[in-house]
Amino acid sequence: MATGFLTDTTVCIGCKACEVACKQWNQLPHDGYELTGDSYDNTKQLSGSTWRHVAFIEKPKDENRYRKLSGDVDLVALAEGVKDQLPGGAEIDGLGRWTFMSDVCKHCVEAPCQQACPTGAIIRNEFDNVYIQPDVCNGCGYCVPACPYGVITSIPEDGRAFKCTLCYDRQVDGLEPACAKACPTNSIMFGEVEELEKIAEERVQQLHDRGYPNAFLYGTPEVGGTGGIGGNHSKFILMDEPETYNLPEAPLLPQATVGKATLASAVTAVALGAVVAWAFGSGE
Amino acid sequence: MSESKTQTDTLSGESRNGSKKPQTSHHPKTDGMRDDKGYYGIPPIKASHWAWQIYLYFWVGGIGVGAHLASVMGQLFGWKDLAFFRVCRYTTVVAMVISPIMLIWDLGRPERFLNMLRIVKLRSPMSTGSWALSAFGSLAGAVATKQAADDGLIRLLPGGEPLTKLAKLIPERLISVAALPIGLYVGAYTGILLIATSVPLWARNWLLMGPLFLSSAVSTGLSWVSFVLHLGNWGETRTLHALRKAERVVLVIEAVLLAASLIRTGRWARPLFSRRLGPLFVGGTIVGGIILPFLLLFGKETRNKGLLSGGLVLVGGYILRYVMVRGGRDSANDPDEYFSFTKKDRTEVREAEKIEGEEL
Repeated sequence: MATGFLTDTTVCIGCKACEVACKQWNQLPHDGYELTGDSYDNTKQLSGSTWRHVAFIEKPKDENRYRKLSGDVDLVALAEGVKDQLPGGAEIDGLGRWTFMSDVCKHCVEAPCQQACPTGAIIRNEFDNVYIQPDVCNGCGYCVPACPYGVITSIPEDGRAFKCTLCYDRQVDGLEPACAKACPTNSIMFGEVEELEKIAEERVQQLHDRGYPNAFLYGTPEVGGTGGIGGNHSKFILMDEPETYNLPEAPLLPQATVGKATLASAVTAVALGAVVAWAFGSGE
Repeated sequence: MSESKTQTDTLSGESRNGSKKPQTSHHPKTDGMRDDKGYYGIPPIKASHWAWQIYLYFWVGGIGVGAHLASVMGQLFGWKDLAFFRVCRYTTVVAMVISPIMLIWDLGRPERFLNMLRIVKLRSPMSTGSWALSAFGSLAGAVATKQAADDGLIRLLPGGEPLTKLAKLIPERLISVAALPIGLYVGAYTGILLIATSVPLWARNWLLMGPLFLSSAVSTGLSWVSFVLHLGNWGETRTLHALRKAERVVLVIEAVLLAASLIRTGRWARPLFSRRLGPLFVGGTIVGGIILPFLLLFGKETRNKGLLSGGLVLVGGYILRYVMVRGGRDSANDPDEYFSFTKKDRTEVREAEKIEGEEL
């Protein structure tokens, strides 16, 4: 049985309850108190100490028109439905959409971090989740650049790499992960991958029927799973191109090329050996 | 947000809302001072933490491998130059002592370094490389022990006599030959280690990164041996001559592999030519590390020329590794690089790549 997440970004309200629940349950350290100024996102990205991250995407209707905004948007006027000109010549109509997306480890079917790990610390557990054994990891950091989603990260103070465990400890006790439990809109769903896929298909169809043809499922082999990763066990329903959410459109499995690269190196080794042999053997 | 404190609205030429007060933008897209790519310019993948220990290891390990190759070939063709063998074998063993120290130093949990030898994973170059390094280091240690016994160094130790007798039993010729393929893998896997990641600069050049690192390992190894022989006025003339001959061809192979790598990497090679790394890479590796020493290897053979060309190849080899690893960090940190690399349909990119490839 494989378990995973389905994160439906269309119903996410950006409350960050998942971020907080994750931090609390897993007793993760804070990330400082920096204010980024990038919308309401002060977390910025997933890291060794942040296993859920809510992205705040302000998507203008028309990029060029949006650039022309000459002042901050008057949110009070906006809320009161003032249809006239906003201060500074801003237009209500130009605002477009404000989207949220709770990001998490993708739990890849062919996980690059797991394939990279030289110690065998990263395994697939009995729930088919990608899991780091903290007592085995020696902090080589090779999984970090291997991850095609920028999820797994070292904590310098600790030395080891960390990421979402899909709340392994809770699953063992028959509980759903903390983030899914805390989500007030059911944007984060937890369950068996096959079941979640069915729910996702229905939801995407429903969105299409309601006039949102852009909606799609990210993390299936068709999208965001080519190049040998074979899809993800945590999937997302998105409304925009993946890059908008800081996700790659079609990530590659980094280890797919290792065999051929080794062969090419062997050929080169023979050539270099022959050159040195020639230099020492040709005598004079 | 230090930049937003002092900025003015560059779009209209005056402060926002007509006031003189510095303004912060509600949205980075309306902020003329910011040109964020992707999601607020936050990198979609994480760069590796590798720092100086790793560049140094890539370089020193390569020198050890190159020196070993030279000594095996000298041995196979009945070379009798004692100074040459000493330099080669001691170089290899010292390199194989420094290498694991650097690698263990780099670990987040150094005390757990033995976990590297917990399993064998053929698809993880970090795993195969750890095994190869351990094996090659042990064999190089055995060869150097025999050499030390022959040189009378072990006799100096307490209980030296019996130890020397024991060490002289080591079949160093057999071990050297057996260690050669493992050593060559040590020279190549550092490149393969880089390509098995999501970093565009590395992953794109998957076919040639291993060969490139291996050729650089051999060129730096040969150069080190000839540099030391020249420096001490050691070695027979014909040894120096053979090294020179080999160096010339190896540098050509390295140059071809480097050029092919750059063409293959195409637009994703940009970080190598950044304002910070570009001058170092072009001046230090391409011109200073390959072209200049290659020219110096022709004409009359003098000590100064030998020292200079050897030194240049060594410095160029270090810079190559430094620039590749640091460039990888820049490559990972630029959303543009990664998103263009992971586009499902890269036809447009391939067109652009052709043009840039020609420029490179």
